[in-house]
Amino acid sequence: MRKVAINIISAAKIAAPTKIEDLEDKRIVPKMMLRRRLTRNAKIMLFIADKCEFTGGKIVYGSAFGELQSTVGITDAILNDTQISPTLFQNSVYNSAPSYFSLLNVDKDEIITISSGMNTSLAALKTAALQALVSGERVLCVATECLDIANIEQVNSCTSFLEAGAGVVLEIAEDESGAVEIEDLNEEGVIDSLRDLVSLVNMSAKGSRKVFITL
Amino acid sequence: MKAYINSYESSSCAGNTQELMNAIYEKKSGISIDTSYMSNTPVGLGKMSYENFFDEMNAVVQTVLDNSNLDNFNNTLLIVGSSVGGMAQSEEHYFRDKDYKRIDPNKHAISVIGDSLQSAFNFADVRAISTACTSSANAFLLAKRLINVEAYENILVVGADALCYTTVCGFYALSVLSSKPCTPFTEGREGMNVAEAVAAVLVQDKQLDDSIELCGVGASSDAYHMTNPDPEALGAIASMSKALQDAELNASDIDYVNAHGTGTQANDKVEGLGVETLFGDVYVSSTKAITGHTLGAAGALEAIISCETIKQGVIPPQASLGKVENENINLPLEAIKQDVKYVVSNSFAFGGNNTSVIFGGTK
Repeated sequence: MRKVAINIISAAKIAAPTKIEDLEDKRIVPKMMLRRRLTRNAKIMLFIADKCEFTGGKIVYGSAFGELQSTVGITDAILNDTQISPTLFQNSVYNSAPSYFSLLNVDKDEIITISSGMNTSLAALKTAALQALVSGERVLCVATECLDIANIEQVNSCTSFLEAGAGVVLEIAEDESGAVEIEDLNEEGVIDSLRDLVSLVNMSAKGSRKVFITL
Repeated sequence: MKAYINSYESSSCAGNTQELMNAIYEKKSGISIDTSYMSNTPVGLGKMSYENFFDEMNAVVQTVLDNSNLDNFNNTLLIVGSSVGGMAQSEEHYFRDKDYKRIDPNKHAISVIGDSLQSAFNFADVRAISTACTSSANAFLLAKRLINVEAYENILVVGADALCYTTVCGFYALSVLSSKPCTPFTEGREGMNVAEAVAAVLVQDKQLDDSIELCGVGASSDAYHMTNPDPEALGAIASMSKALQDAELNASDIDYVNAHGTGTQANDKVEGLGVETLFGDVYVSSTKAITGHTLGAAGALEAIISCETIKQGVIPPQASLGKVENENINLPLEAIKQDVKYVVSNSFAFGGNNTSVIFGGTK
């Protein structure tokens, strides 16, 4: 095991009980053709990246459940014996959101997508810290969940916010002085897969911006 | 610290690792023609033989443990690469019940693979990567870097994806499925074969007698299109170049490229251009003609093929090859026995996600 200290450069979060109303996508993605193809996870991810003032570089993205809306669209088409939309299928992969960031910003750097269930944001943070350590660069670590599909109440017992996201831009700290462990500052009703990133955003807001991460 | 591969096993439509390598060298495809997913449309699929996919996965991982220098995996990090996770089980419930009530969200997600292995083997920690068809190749990228920075001594990379309606019908919707065993790098090729596999590879910081070194990893993004690769192959060239740089090797050091080689028009044309540009006439072939495209498991399965290529000293031939599209790449028609020191394995995915891994002999 190895522990490193990271500096939080910028941080942002957003959540809503159902659909997040204004993700500023018309400003962030001026090209309509591209904007129309974006998944909800992509819109939230782009919003978080924008708020973190991240325009390019290595990205570690996390999502426990990925692109549920696309997945449901595909399975419904199969069940009803109708044609599957190629766009739905291409959008169904878990790395769709950061790939749209890459397209929008012509970012040709490494993208890793983590999906570790309720540990997703912690696993994403560990991965982002590793990427920062080996590259010496700043890394965007962002996680989103979009569960706003019809009849989700049949299976949802884990969150009051059907759309949510949190992210930080981090770098390796030059020294460990003043670094603290991640404090559990998750908010009631936010899905546990975002717990550690939401906590980090809230720590940053309180002034704790140097944090230990065990790789 | 350097990273070494010290134990591995796999299960695919071509059998276990030994059966797979025999099939590759004999150019005997494991693809079968199937109508169970689309009743009126025969497609070539790579189907494994099992009663329960998760039991098969546990058996593969147990074999890796039995063949390793470890007593257990309690001090080992598990990194899973998967693109569909528990999708097949969710489909079964949804298609039968037409509602979500019996779907367990934790068994739907990608993490079900790691959760299942964790309950069977009690790893030190678990994380899962899902970057579509580069998932388990990116697991090697993280594994090498974690060993290099001395974060872990033992890391098990597992690539696992089962067939499901979503992937078979989804790739059909993209018009990239082949109705017969795929014919990578052949002019007029039909497309790819969706397939399933489990592949497990133990990466350690210790060199043993028969170790293969995990020499280099490289990754890039095309930033071009969600499903079509950059036609100038800049993304593919970037991932291969970065892997060479990481391994401190020159292109001329490479003996063989195990291509992503899906059999689609777009991939093989661009990858052929990338290999031609970077490596000239190095031997290159796609073993997906034997295994099909095992999606998130492909990086790990083809890592094992790359290790076996080095150990056996035999270059895999290009099976099912017709008239070659790009005559400037060197596709071996038959297995070629020669010393193999370094192999590049490519994996490319939706979103323009590219990963290349270099394996090297230690003898």
